Amino acid sequence: MYKILKVAQREYAETVKTKAFILSILALPVMVVAVIFFAGLLADTRGSARPPIKVTVTDLSQELSDEINTSFEKYHDRNPKRQILLQELDEPNGADAAEAQGKNKLRQGQTDVYVLLDESIVEGSGKMRLYTYKPKPAHDEMLGTIEYLLREAVVNRRYELHQLDRESLAKLRNVPTDRVEIGSAGDTERVQSKADAITRMMVPFFFMYLLFLGIVGTGQQMLSSIIDEKSSRVIEVLLSAVSPFQLMAGKIVGQVGISLTVVSLWGSGAYLAARSRGLNVEIPPEMAPYFAVYFILGFLLFSSIMVGIGSICNTIKETQSLMMPVILTCVVPMVAWMNVVRHPDGMMAKVLSFIPPMTPMVMILRLSAGSDIWIGEVLASVLVLAAAALAAIWLTAKVFRTGILMYGKRPGVREVVRWLGQK
Amino acid sequence: MNAVSLRRACKAFGDVRAVDALSVTVPAGSIYGFLGPNGAGKTTTIRMIMNIIRPDDGDIEIFGDTSIERARTRIGYMPEERGLYRKMKVGKVLAYFGAIKGVASSELARRVPEWLERLDLASWADKKVEELSRGMHQKLQFAVTAINAPELLILDEPFSGLDPLNTDLLKSIILGMRDEGKTVIFSTHVMHEAEKLCDFILLINRGKAILDDRLSSIKSRQRSHAVCVELEGYTGFITDLPMVTRVDQDGSRLQISLKENADPQQLLRELLDRVRVQAFEIKVPSLHEIFVDLVGASDVQDS
Repeated sequence: MYKILKVAQREYAETVKTKAFILSILALPVMVVAVIFFAGLLADTRGSARPPIKVTVTDLSQELSDEINTSFEKYHDRNPKRQILLQELDEPNGADAAEAQGKNKLRQGQTDVYVLLDESIVEGSGKMRLYTYKPKPAHDEMLGTIEYLLREAVVNRRYELHQLDRESLAKLRNVPTDRVEIGSAGDTERVQSKADAITRMMVPFFFMYLLFLGIVGTGQQMLSSIIDEKSSRVIEVLLSAVSPFQLMAGKIVGQVGISLTVVSLWGSGAYLAARSRGLNVEIPPEMAPYFAVYFILGFLLFSSIMVGIGSICNTIKETQSLMMPVILTCVVPMVAWMNVVRHPDGMMAKVLSFIPPMTPMVMILRLSAGSDIWIGEVLASVLVLAAAALAAIWLTAKVFRTGILMYGKRPGVREVVRWLGQK
Repeated sequence: MNAVSLRRACKAFGDVRAVDALSVTVPAGSIYGFLGPNGAGKTTTIRMIMNIIRPDDGDIEIFGDTSIERARTRIGYMPEERGLYRKMKVGKVLAYFGAIKGVASSELARRVPEWLERLDLASWADKKVEELSRGMHQKLQFAVTAINAPELLILDEPFSGLDPLNTDLLKSIILGMRDEGKTVIFSTHVMHEAEKLCDFILLINRGKAILDDRLSSIKSRQRSHAVCVELEGYTGFITDLPMVTRVDQDGSRLQISLKENADPQQLLRELLDRVRVQAFEIKVPSLHEIFVDLVGASDVQDS
């Protein structure tokens, strides 16, 4: 045990000191800040200049012309850099002729959107039809705007016909609302903002993502540490002092320690950042032991898989193809994230909770989504995960013992399976 | 008491029998040389002793124990492939290996500087291992091997890459350890190193032992039939002496080969009668010659 701890201690100390490690610790927050910053910039581009878009409208009802012009003018006043060039196409020969002509204009590129308003549109039985030809993705958003502007024109016309006042109608429809969240202490309460709802959605994701980053990020460290030991031929010297199992166990323990360090640094950093921005992040303290158990077991499981992979490879390049399935396994809960958070007691959430490599990520999602999971289910998933971690360590020990001393060609699947059979 | 004993140890890699039913017993307190040409099976044998590779068959005991786990802290092993953590500092590496070999940290605080001093590496203690030259790296590797004051040292090609000065330093340390009652096993294919150090010799070729004995008895058994002389006067008559088979000129000296049962003393008497004898030496075969002889013979037998 003493030797395992000594190996773990060195693994930890030597990794944490490296520049690559410190950089990778810093890289994530920097990236997050950068993403938020650029997202802000991107959001601003909504008001930025865009080449004008050409719209041709045929109004068969022949009573909307004024309304349409007002509607579009208002839009231009609000968005001076994003012009919509409005053309009217009058066609005295009926709907079909108008449609044919409009389609023709579209195909010849004389217009980007063609709109046909039925004769009976104001009464409500007619339709508004928007035609496009080979639309560009950028036009999609505009199509919505155009539809909205024309709809406004039609609705305004209807108000007019019914002699209704638009503003008093809007007033009538408006009911001011506050969603208030009360705290456990009698006097604490706060009005929820939209950010709160998003935060509630993102917190589970954040915890799962933390686990994912811990696994993948420090997995790379583990691989490069083993590859380095192999290429510097230090393994044989080590094996004269410790048994292969002690060496492996020490590396795994050290790795779990590194992962926990990284995760708690990032986690507390993110928590403080969120608090300082006034986001209401609440993690029930009774969750902490569960989180600790899932994080530790999850890291144990993945670290031992990484040790196994590292031991049979000689270069980082060789490890990449073996890392693929590991990463893919981690991606499944990320894809299932929305579903699991919205239905933490759903079938999918339950099934994924008992597939070991996904267990920690999915359970963390479910627990932080605030669902009351039956304690028996939690314990069962912990047991499954613990059993999987032990099995992974046991199998890795067999692969490690032989693989660590192999140089040259990477052994094939059949050979690795044969090692598993050795006593 | 035996430090190490192998009984009919076998190891094959594919079709190649790297070690073939090898038996050897290393008594405690001796220096045992494992000799043999490249690819003879020396390193494989050593790795089996260290349980780095498992024998296909046969028994291996260390200090009378079949498991190396209990004996690990009593052994110092220097593998053929040298390697240390390149990014770590010299003193730290030595302390780390000491720690995982079970040396208490208070003891290490004393031993680490002591070994660095002894191997002339004291000024490098705070440098990274990757900054060391090959020779210094090799010395540090030896310090790592010996940091736990092992009762048994197993050294695979300990002198390769060392200059003569450092070779002598290492040899004197090894001899000193033997005098303290420790056991040393080392492999080499450089014969004169073995000749100066070893009490016992195991000569391996193609995985089989072709010679395993005390160095002194090997030498006395391999009786020589050659004499080297330096004479003044006419020497043409020597070829005609009854016990002489051939004479070779070697500078101012003559190499005289004798018949199977001839007594070199008889030759000396004959020479004294006729010429002035400046030098007379009965040639004891060097280990090198024995090696070439035996390995050559066993290769011929096998093929």
